[in-house]
Amino acid sequence: MSVSEEIEHLSRRSFLRIAGIGSAALCLGLYVSEKAGAKVVNESEASLADAGIALAAWIIIHTSGKVTLICHRAEMGQGVYHSIAQIIAEELEVDLYGVDIQLTQGDEKKYGSQLTGGSSTIRGSYKNLLKLSATAREVLIMAAAARWGVDPSGCYAASGHVIQKSSGKKLHYGELVADAAKLTPPKEVKLKTRADYKVIGKGSLRRDSPLKTNGQAVFGIDKRIPGLQFATVERNPRLRGKVRSFDASAALKVPGVTRVFKVVMGVWDTDREGVAVVATSTWAAMQGRKVLKVEWDDSGFEHVSSPEIFRRQQELLQNSEGLSLSTQGDPTGIIARAKDKLDVVYETPYQSHSCMEPVNCIAHYQADKVEIWGPVQAPNWIQDYVSKKLGMDREKVIVNMTFLGGGFGRKAMPDYPYEAVMVSKEIGAPVQVVWTREDDATQGPYRPGISYRCEGAVENGGIAALKFRMAGQNNDHWMRGDSGKANRSTSEGFLKPYYESIKHISFADVPFKTPIPTSFWRSVYASTNGFAYESFLDELAHQAQKDPMDLRRQYLKDERSQLLIDKMEEVSGWKNRKKNEGYGVAITECFASTVGHIVKVSKNGDKGIRIDKVWVVVDCGWYVNPDIITAQVEGSVVMALGAATIHEITFKNGMVEQRNFYDYKMPRITDIPPIEVHIMENDENAGGMGEPGLPAFAPALTNAIFDLTGKRIRKLPFDLANVH
Amino acid sequence: MINLNVNHKKYRIDADPDMPLLWVIRDIIGLTGTKYGCGVAQCGACVIHLNGEAVRSCVTKLSRGAGQEIITIEGLSANNNHPAQVAWNEESVPQCGYCHSGQIMSAAVLLREKPNPTDQDIDDAMAGNICRCGTYLRIRKAIHLAAELQKKEGGTT
Amino acid sequence: MNNLVKPWQRFMPSRTVLIMGLLLYFVGLMAFAMNHKTELKKELPPHVVIRKDSVASVKAFTAVYKVLMSPRCMNCHPQGDIPLQGDDSHLHTMFPKRGLEGKGVLAMKCANCHQPTNTPGLNTPPGNPNWHLPPADMKMVFQGKTPRQLAKQLVDPQLNGHKDMQKLVEHADDGLVKAGWNPGEGRSLPPMSHAEFKKAWITWLSTGAYAPKK
Repeated sequence: MSVSEEIEHLSRRSFLRIAGIGSAALCLGLYVSEKAGAKVVNESEASLADAGIALAAWIIIHTSGKVTLICHRAEMGQGVYHSIAQIIAEELEVDLYGVDIQLTQGDEKKYGSQLTGGSSTIRGSYKNLLKLSATAREVLIMAAAARWGVDPSGCYAASGHVIQKSSGKKLHYGELVADAAKLTPPKEVKLKTRADYKVIGKGSLRRDSPLKTNGQAVFGIDKRIPGLQFATVERNPRLRGKVRSFDASAALKVPGVTRVFKVVMGVWDTDREGVAVVATSTWAAMQGRKVLKVEWDDSGFEHVSSPEIFRRQQELLQNSEGLSLSTQGDPTGIIARAKDKLDVVYETPYQSHSCMEPVNCIAHYQADKVEIWGPVQAPNWIQDYVSKKLGMDREKVIVNMTFLGGGFGRKAMPDYPYEAVMVSKEIGAPVQVVWTREDDATQGPYRPGISYRCEGAVENGGIAALKFRMAGQNNDHWMRGDSGKANRSTSEGFLKPYYESIKHISFADVPFKTPIPTSFWRSVYASTNGFAYESFLDELAHQAQKDPMDLRRQYLKDERSQLLIDKMEEVSGWKNRKKNEGYGVAITECFASTVGHIVKVSKNGDKGIRIDKVWVVVDCGWYVNPDIITAQVEGSVVMALGAATIHEITFKNGMVEQRNFYDYKMPRITDIPPIEVHIMENDENAGGMGEPGLPAFAPALTNAIFDLTGKRIRKLPFDLANVH
Repeated sequence: MINLNVNHKKYRIDADPDMPLLWVIRDIIGLTGTKYGCGVAQCGACVIHLNGEAVRSCVTKLSRGAGQEIITIEGLSANNNHPAQVAWNEESVPQCGYCHSGQIMSAAVLLREKPNPTDQDIDDAMAGNICRCGTYLRIRKAIHLAAELQKKEGGTT
Repeated sequence: MNNLVKPWQRFMPSRTVLIMGLLLYFVGLMAFAMNHKTELKKELPPHVVIRKDSVASVKAFTAVYKVLMSPRCMNCHPQGDIPLQGDDSHLHTMFPKRGLEGKGVLAMKCANCHQPTNTPGLNTPPGNPNWHLPPADMKMVFQGKTPRQLAKQLVDPQLNGHKDMQKLVEHADDGLVKAGWNPGEGRSLPPMSHAEFKKAWITWLSTGAYAPKK
């Protein structure tokens, strides 16, 4: 099921439940399992449990009055730890800064999918959470009204209390827990409108921030449990390689090193091997690893090199129509007959996620269960993967989520938790496996490197046809195997309204495989598609002698797009710009949000190009926290800037050439242009915000460079200092 | 045995004198606010104060810290109230938050030596700290705010 | 302020520097140098014996120049206020600034990363107890200098850190100069051994320190 299908599914099939936890707390939650059809709404909790469905408690009200809210998704910087609480606090009428917020365990029966990816957390749960919180508030008001023998309509809730309007009598929520647990919640509750919001829609200060300014936040790498040992693994530097033999004698002499053994790490259905060094401290393990001697077995798979990867892709693009994802009209025919046409190739590199917190995980393998603590984006996938590998019940794999020091898609993979489990199994004790920065850079998985062939026909000052072909690795193959179908993400990032106004469009995926493990990387295929497709539209605009913004206005006819373009023009002064002053525009859609970028560049003396300013206009529909949205866009621009102009992962003879931040360089504080973010105001369904701010930056930048210099950049990354 | 003075507390450490302070602090002393990011002094996630300087603990040996004054993020202030910490929260700077122990420790040295830092001073002090979430614009804002807060407090050290 | 060190003092030989090698070679006298300036002078000949020979001098300087312009020397004698890095002499990542004393600024002081000794591993900070750039008031730029420009700069006390002939001779054995020949893993060495360099250096100085024509 795709993320958006899952979201639809959940909102259709979720029902509020209320249950006491002993006598100490009131637990309010939803049944969100996909198994919970409408017919079970009125059944007892026991029968739901039989059906494998458990209450997802998002709100726990203790008799003391303390309120605990649950963050059921991974907090990796995108701010859901705060914004989930912000949603609940609004309708529950509790002080956002007075509640406790807890991270949780992986439990799909309760929470539905906890895969924190596809920018899905808020858009996937806000409707349920608003309804849950409002219902909880109403139940507490009912309990208080009954206690006072008054009509509930004469009472209201505020700051964790129910108050009677006329008398001013007041009870805190904790005093109402016992009574409320006996009530049947109302089926329908009235939700606030945007005008009533006191908490939602405001840029409140993040609840997780104070934990992150004094060292208190516990990231996976900071987690400590009794008896914990530390390990690091020397893995075959070739991405599917095995261990032939190893000599542990020197490693075992390093003080603190306790065990050295071969370990297997599964990358979905592929295994790769390494040698684990277990020690009493991370450093001792690293020292032991340095003196380890390993002979690798590199047979049975191709050893790829970078220039060759892209050469092969581009050969395929010239010789193959590929697998069609979607076709409307007859772009091939139109382009064949057209007089005025373009046929160009774009290229985007492999990229590493390079989370600041290197990959790590704690596992404790025990006879009857496995317990895991770590920075993970997809606890349920880990449960699936580990239980399958070990032949263990899914429920016996307990995954505890910590804060993540960045995720960006990398930490959705179950490879490193599984490896930690295998190390723990071998030593019979809890162990934390820490990847070095070099492991992180050299072992992947990576955003796939992709070549695009873009063809288009121009007619009467407009676009007559578009034909896009993509050759790059399909992430789905790692998870689901090769179905023989086109990569479903081939058109990701391309704006849907274009299909209405451009009659002839096709997208095809020309299958391309290598042994390199690939995965989602912030905004996934939109991050690369967006560069090719939105640059190509700019090329066609110039070919048709149209203003690039006017071209978009012409073909994005829906009202939301028109308003977005109005705003983009207004904030950037687009219409007042001079000819070839260095302005570029791009608009992409990603995870149900549309984001437009305008970039202004100028010549930087003999040092190439300088980015003067970036304006970003976001239409994400209904939203929770404008400050977090702004922060996500700022961060997305910085990440996109790095991927477009600073770093790339390259391969030589099957091995990655970059090792650390000295050769996979990062944008630093000295590299950041001013970024101005604007959010469109409407009440449409909420879209994602962790990723959609990223894809349109690179094309807006290269389009701006074309405007200034006439130079068209079709290959990323490029060095701003070398553009003249 | 090596004597360490971390956050005004004395520790006797029985470890290889070559072990970087980062791992001594995290794995032996148990203060995990100081982060491992790169291990080669590229990213600044591991910055601690060694006699007041923003030293990269991932490449600084235990032996160099012997008998010196070491402050980690946990010891920067009593109540998360160093002007940089207050400003960081005021501007909601952290996203994932992993790099900010190091960012704040670097900023604290900047604010001590340049109570009114210019943007150029901020570049000069902070370019050694990487943030993958890209919070740089807010770091800059927060440092300017911290400078103001520091002034209001009446102290510039 | 009393701990402020005068820029020229930075180029004093460090406390236990053994300088006998160069003197042995040069005047056939073997002596340990003391750290104290006056004592040092007592035990050294008052002046380096100069035997002018412009041809030999310029020839020796050709070798000297190769070393000084190699990444191991030039990287810390940059044109700007940011040191260079690597065998390709790119601008130092993260742009650390020289600062008044040449020891970096604010949260980016040299010694924050550069330890008293080399850090093991590839691309790790090389180390020296006295790691620094020339100070702001005496930048001693090598980068971009022609042999003639560099030769003239090296012997001009106003530009060389107030070094007289004797101090120049001694400087060949400066701890930081010698660190060029212990660059840490993965970095290329200067184009000749330290002994060869020292020989060329002293030959150049003792034959009159002639500057090449260009």
